Amino acid sequence: MASTVIGQPVPQVSALEKVQGRAVYAGDLAFPGMLHARVLRSPYAHARIRSVDVSAARALPGVKAVVTGADVPERRWGVAHKQQHVLAKGVVRFIGEEVAAVVATSESVANDAIDLINVDYEPLDALLNAGSAFDDDAPQVHAEGNLAHEIRIARGDVDAGFASADLIHEDVYSTQSQYPGYMEPMATVATVDGTGKLTVWTATQSVFLARQRLAEALDRPVSTIRVHQPAVGGGFGGKIVEERSSVIAAFLATVVDRPVRLGLSRLEDFQSGCFSVPTRIRLKMGMQNDGRIVAKEVDILAECGAYAGLAPEVMLVTAMRSDNMQRIENVRSRARLVYTHTMPRGAFRGFGGTQMLFALNSHLATMADKLGIDPVDLHRRNAIRTGDTSVHGWSIGSCGLPECLDQVTGAIGWSAKRERPETGGVLRRGIGMAAAMHVSGNRTMGNWDGSTVTLKVNEDGRAVILTAESDMGQGANTMLSQICAEELGIPLSHVTVLAPDTDTAPYALGSIASRVTVNAGHAMLKAAKQARDQILDAAAAKLGCDAADLSIVEGVVQSTVNDNLFAPLPEICRYHIFRHGGEGILVTATHDPRTVMMDKDHYGNIAPAYSFAAQAVEVEVDTETGQVQVVETWLSDDCGRAINPLAVHGQSNGAAVQAIGWALHEHLQFEDGRLMNGNLADYTMPTADALPRVNSSIVESNDPNGPLGAKGASETAILPGAPAIANAVYDAIGVRITDLPITPEKILAGLAALGEKNHASV
Amino acid sequence: MRRKTLSITVNGEPVEADVPANRLLSEFIREDLALTGTKRGCETGVCGACSVLVDGKALKSCLCLAAQADGASITTIEGLGSRDDLHPLQESFMACGGLQCGYCTPGFLIAAADLLARNPRPSDDEIRQGLSGNLCRCTGYQGIVDAIREASEKMNGH
Repeated sequence: MASTVIGQPVPQVSALEKVQGRAVYAGDLAFPGMLHARVLRSPYAHARIRSVDVSAARALPGVKAVVTGADVPERRWGVAHKQQHVLAKGVVRFIGEEVAAVVATSESVANDAIDLINVDYEPLDALLNAGSAFDDDAPQVHAEGNLAHEIRIARGDVDAGFASADLIHEDVYSTQSQYPGYMEPMATVATVDGTGKLTVWTATQSVFLARQRLAEALDRPVSTIRVHQPAVGGGFGGKIVEERSSVIAAFLATVVDRPVRLGLSRLEDFQSGCFSVPTRIRLKMGMQNDGRIVAKEVDILAECGAYAGLAPEVMLVTAMRSDNMQRIENVRSRARLVYTHTMPRGAFRGFGGTQMLFALNSHLATMADKLGIDPVDLHRRNAIRTGDTSVHGWSIGSCGLPECLDQVTGAIGWSAKRERPETGGVLRRGIGMAAAMHVSGNRTMGNWDGSTVTLKVNEDGRAVILTAESDMGQGANTMLSQICAEELGIPLSHVTVLAPDTDTAPYALGSIASRVTVNAGHAMLKAAKQARDQILDAAAAKLGCDAADLSIVEGVVQSTVNDNLFAPLPEICRYHIFRHGGEGILVTATHDPRTVMMDKDHYGNIAPAYSFAAQAVEVEVDTETGQVQVVETWLSDDCGRAINPLAVHGQSNGAAVQAIGWALHEHLQFEDGRLMNGNLADYTMPTADALPRVNSSIVESNDPNGPLGAKGASETAILPGAPAIANAVYDAIGVRITDLPITPEKILAGLAALGEKNHASV
Repeated sequence: MRRKTLSITVNGEPVEADVPANRLLSEFIREDLALTGTKRGCETGVCGACSVLVDGKALKSCLCLAAQADGASITTIEGLGSRDDLHPLQESFMACGGLQCGYCTPGFLIAAADLLARNPRPSDDEIRQGLSGNLCRCTGYQGIVDAIREASEKMNGH
């Protein structure tokens, strides 16, 4: 019998409250006596703080506290690099860094007080360009130097591979930072209760990682802190562990001992928010005439800004993940991460994959052209397959990449469009494609990638799920509810997922690395099966039959051998309690995948499953204005079993548009380290009227390690967009753009260069 | 700060208020009336998350002083439909994947209600034009466009 829940395009379980405007986000919370905080930020990219005069600010009526770096704990917080204080101490390292904070009775009083703080800075030379980080006279961002992290990876015999190549191609690609652009600017409400316990409601992708960071930054035990996740208005990686405003808000609550709200303005969110890591990638690849890749060498320069955060982990992904997408034996990577006096960069949807896959897919298209091979065939020829172990030791339990390629090229009419004659003219069309892979889960944050789910079945037969995995809009709670409803045989509307709360939910890592479906989905499946077994055992005792002959169908425990033997689920759940030695149904289950941490050489099967995607686009290039319009896009995501196709399409479509924005429109403009377009009018994210219909399809490769065959969806889908567009631009006008974004200026410059070349060759 | 008295209708109910002259309509709705469905996304009139209907027309409430709304009838997202009697747009946003994180959703619903009031049977291009003042980062807009088309068909008896 087909499931009525799994695989169905059901609305998000939060949809009803969201369409009524009744989902409660951190900035919507208000408590009696709540105060409001504002932050003073550095106007200098690099300066010594000589002194801070807060006397005028403190004297303003309504001001309850003014704090500076001198007031915050000495302990430093960070991911691997412990570098940051709650507020800057002594030195500022980027424009926008938090120097002081005010708590007042209203936001407007707090704003007025901020203007009254007088900071005496001694400006210092700033390092604003990653390419200058190793110059002899480069300003030093940290005492240990400007190199934040270096990675070297080598497998096989790269030199022999190049020696055996029929074609070697080398090029340099660069990618710019992208702002996550979640619609909810960071917001936090924090309060301290009568026992001294600090409670924090914040827009986070992981309440337990948030608690860990608060404990570190505020230098107090984790158990003295409670973190709640309210509704979160998008994250895209920026709300994992790198934003700083929640730390400041929590500290301020401990200072004033009252509830404090800190909601960032959009400008502040830009100034402090986590952008993706910009990179410069030199890629050299050798191929045989049949298109088989025989050697690959990569040299990466990446920029993390003032503090390392998650950027070393991001750069590792850039350095090696895409190697696993292909059957390739000889690879060598060097990657260096440098500090600059700019805002910190780090995690972003795709986590370093977008950068390298832009370079790789652009490179493959160029080499396919040189060899006279269709790039789709080139991808197919090299694609990793189900059952393979990749060059870095990844066990590919399922790979739907060939099917993704079939779907997108079939849908766009690839062959026919490739063969159409060039028309010339002002508006020229071209097609391009790209392929991608991503992890579903990643054993990277210590030797555990597990998930624990606690399930209660109430005496009315309805279920409550406790989890600290996070739904920031992507649909995690709906996925868990669907699995729970299916296994318990109850309607979806009878399942509630409690919002993450570190004091009540079991430990979890949260929404990172596309790990929630593949790991929490499994834990949910186990918990629901355990609860069902308890229910059926109780029913068997009550009905006087064998539990093996019972099942739950639409809220009724029913014998499969005797139609007259049944009991409503609530009756059994009450019976589970009201008998000698009874209890309410409460089960907890954990799933920790059989993966390993990478060894020191970055080898090992880090994820239970790997997802794949492909995208084909058609663009129209205006050769007079240089504008590029995406006129058609097809994206296919191999997410294993699609537990909720509506959610998967939503993720794919949103990712495709975020990729279009990155490829064509979104460009942070800096002048002397100052962000010049930190607003939504000048930082141009795509709007509905600028886009074509966005098409997405699903390949269900049904992974043996995924719950019901499911893998992660959404992150893979952002990966192929930019190179597919770059390849389509090349197909349209013969201009190869290797540095993102693809702006009209670059198009026109490329056309002009092409014109000169053709003119010279006549 | 000077103060202004306001006499307006909000979601069908009369509201009398005394506000500072510089109080934004968005702040008045969110902080004073505690109608937090109206969201704060940019405060510069770009993202559309704070859109409300003022005398039936969509307005970004961060671009308007509360005092300027004196005498007006305002509908916020809380007034568009109720849990047991949803607006067809609310139903179709749910069914078509017109939302994910939900933060932009109230603004889009208000913009869509304004669009369908002016143009009950918009083409897909007209829907996209009608949404050009609202930003969404989750959906890629496709689910929203599909939802508005479906609501339009439903409201026109299809």
